[in-house]
Amino acid sequence: MTALLEIDNLSVGFTRDGETTDVVRDLSMRVEQGARVAVIGESGSGKTVTMKTILGTLPPNGRVLGGAIRFDGQDLLTLAPRDRDRLKGTDISIIHQDPLAAFNPVFRIGTQMDDVLRYADARLGQPSSAADRGDRITTVLRQVQLQDPARVRHSYPFELSGGMRQRVLIGMALLHRPKLLIADEPGTALDVTTQDEILRLLDDLVAAQNLTLVLVTHNLAVVRQNADYVYVMQHGRLMEHGLVRQVFDAPQSTYTRQLIAAIPPLYGAGVTAQSGRGTAKLIELAAAAKHFAAPKRWFAKPPPSVMAVRDVSLVINRGDCFGIAGESGSGKTTVARMIMGLLAATAGKVEIGGRDIASLRRDPAFRRRIQMVYQNPASSLNPKRTVAQMLAVPLAFAGDTAHPRRVAELLAQVELPPEFARRYPHELSGGQKQRVAIARALAVRPEILVLDEPTSALDVSVQKTIVDLLLSLREQLDLTYVFISHDLSLMRNFCNRIAVMWRGMLAEQGQTDDVFDRPVHPYTRALIAAVPVLTEAEAARKPQITLAERRAVLASTVE
Amino acid sequence: MITNRQRALRRLRHNPIAVIGGLMVISVILAAIFAPFVAPFPSHAGAVVDFRHRHAPPDALHWMGTDNVGRDILSRVIFGYRVSLTLVAGVLGVAMPFGVILGMAAGYFRGRTEFIIMRLTDIMLAMPPLVMALAITAILTPDLGNAMIAITALWWTWHCRLIYRVTSAIVTEDFIEAARLSGASHTHILLREILPNCMAAISVKTTLDAGFVILFGATLSFLGLGVQPPTPDLGTMVSTGAQFLPDQWWEAVMPGLGVLYAILGFNLLGDGLRDMLDVEIG
Repeated sequence: MTALLEIDNLSVGFTRDGETTDVVRDLSMRVEQGARVAVIGESGSGKTVTMKTILGTLPPNGRVLGGAIRFDGQDLLTLAPRDRDRLKGTDISIIHQDPLAAFNPVFRIGTQMDDVLRYADARLGQPSSAADRGDRITTVLRQVQLQDPARVRHSYPFELSGGMRQRVLIGMALLHRPKLLIADEPGTALDVTTQDEILRLLDDLVAAQNLTLVLVTHNLAVVRQNADYVYVMQHGRLMEHGLVRQVFDAPQSTYTRQLIAAIPPLYGAGVTAQSGRGTAKLIELAAAAKHFAAPKRWFAKPPPSVMAVRDVSLVINRGDCFGIAGESGSGKTTVARMIMGLLAATAGKVEIGGRDIASLRRDPAFRRRIQMVYQNPASSLNPKRTVAQMLAVPLAFAGDTAHPRRVAELLAQVELPPEFARRYPHELSGGQKQRVAIARALAVRPEILVLDEPTSALDVSVQKTIVDLLLSLREQLDLTYVFISHDLSLMRNFCNRIAVMWRGMLAEQGQTDDVFDRPVHPYTRALIAAVPVLTEAEAARKPQITLAERRAVLASTVE
Repeated sequence: MITNRQRALRRLRHNPIAVIGGLMVISVILAAIFAPFVAPFPSHAGAVVDFRHRHAPPDALHWMGTDNVGRDILSRVIFGYRVSLTLVAGVLGVAMPFGVILGMAAGYFRGRTEFIIMRLTDIMLAMPPLVMALAITAILTPDLGNAMIAITALWWTWHCRLIYRVTSAIVTEDFIEAARLSGASHTHILLREILPNCMAAISVKTTLDAGFVILFGATLSFLGLGVQPPTPDLGTMVSTGAQFLPDQWWEAVMPGLGVLYAILGFNLLGDGLRDMLDVEIG
């Protein structure tokens, strides 16, 4: 086999404020014609920088420090800028990660695709007619299985769903039948069912058009499904490479082993089942509903209100780790905020410890009983305040006077050294920030913690350490958790009971084992089936549901 | 681990324009403070007449020449900076905190508070500033203090708008809700959580504004509504010197260059700070 892309000892550095740090070091890689290659790594691994170097789209402060990149017999790094530009978007194409940011919001999809095509044709010196380009665009939109290409072409980006935008992006990358297709985290920003559709589509296209695919991702399970060969990167270095099966079955480097071990299994012996602690009722929702009224308008009838949550009834017992699962827009966050007392239920009731939350909302004693940990620690920690300052507020609220001792105690609880009290958020890593956020929530000695996707902004290996910390804190402090997440594999190993939300309603709830082993609701089955897993054994135990069945469920109207 | 301050200093070193601007500003401030020692003819700041040297072009003795009564223009420019900087300190010292407080309140409390403050701001912004200032100084007597009041009455709106926008963005961050959930008071949230995050925008805006206040003050006194003679003021000097254009060009141009130097200094420094602190100013 001939190598389409060959990278030899590539080093790339970034210069900032007069200092150069290398982000890719001595990277060698070989992608053969027609291969499906994955590059996997966590944040800061240099995987995206490598792709940008191949494309020639490094930011101005990035510089190649050494090595060579050969593509289709040409040395990309010594190629004249003009010749190199000619390859971009034609022979080498990229599918961008963020399906919204990749579009200009003020132009129609058709116009943007036409621009891409027209400039690429011009670069190649093969000017084309508008009609001809229109045909090619329609063809490519059909290829990415968009039902109504004419309508898509006339739509603005915001009129399309995330999944449709991702399809358009794939289509754009395919306009010129690229020899090399780079997919940067395809579908990562989308819901799990949509992501699964996108990955299947990508795989079908690669097979049908005999494309060479380089898949950049942080998700090992995606690698297993969509690639044959894998390169594992960490801190800008290549840790390991080999056939996907070999690397997964017998990882050579410690890093790969850690990475695989950090992924929570969906089925099998590796699952750590959690158990509840009795049946003392702590939180109860009875037929709770939340409507959001649309803003009033002048001189016009008010638009109908949005039903975010309807008819949700559930009971959370003391000591439970109760998971609320769902995709975006399912209403899971609204339920969490109703439990927190941050949103008042429009109908039904929400009770904490037998008392209606409406009467508790402004009661400081209640505020101390229930606290929240947010999804994104970058947003939940004030960048201008030190850890000690951040902890001082809730400590004063709890009436704790011996601050320095309690600050050290709290930091010890989240397994951070006491010196961290003086640090600012930017001096902490993502995992450390999330630990501080947990410490802040614990400062008032609460009995309930609402965890809103507390690990989804973190790398997998860090995610594991945070989950372990939360589990041990639950033991030590006798906490009750309400865990909001879209990550079913994680919930399988973290929650003793789980509720699946869909379109503002509860699709299903029960013991975690029951829900995963014997899902009843068709949506639950579809959702679990779409979760990417690491091993064949797990894939075999997932609910078996055909693509057509799943599409029928997702397209069905509310029963 | 590299601290914020070290990073800022490093960025400063790689931003020579900002350093030049900073040096210009410092030179203006030092000259103003030590004017009696720096100016070659300190007495010329007052009502001195030296008809032997009137209308003298720039030379080794009078670097900027002399005016129509023979006073050294350089000395008067240096003393003029005192007036300009007093004006800047007075205007921004009042307008900035006033605008910041209102802007934070509007952005944080929303609802009716926001409506009242921001619509008031809109109304103030709709008035032509020069006409407003002319009206105010015409009703009151034209002097430095009243010019200050006139400019301040208009200036706070810009700070209010800017800080309103910054605050509106900050209140959506989770750390504000987290602070509220952990029992923080409104005062704590405004002063300890939001204000520190506004400081970058405030310092850049204030620096850039200093130049504009000097310009606005010079315009007012050019029109005879600011500082009254014989106190040296850059605007008044340009206006007097303009009578002798084009033959004695230096009498208008030199004080004009004095204004330009100070404003350019503040603008360069402000732009440099903006790059360093990475903030957006409307």
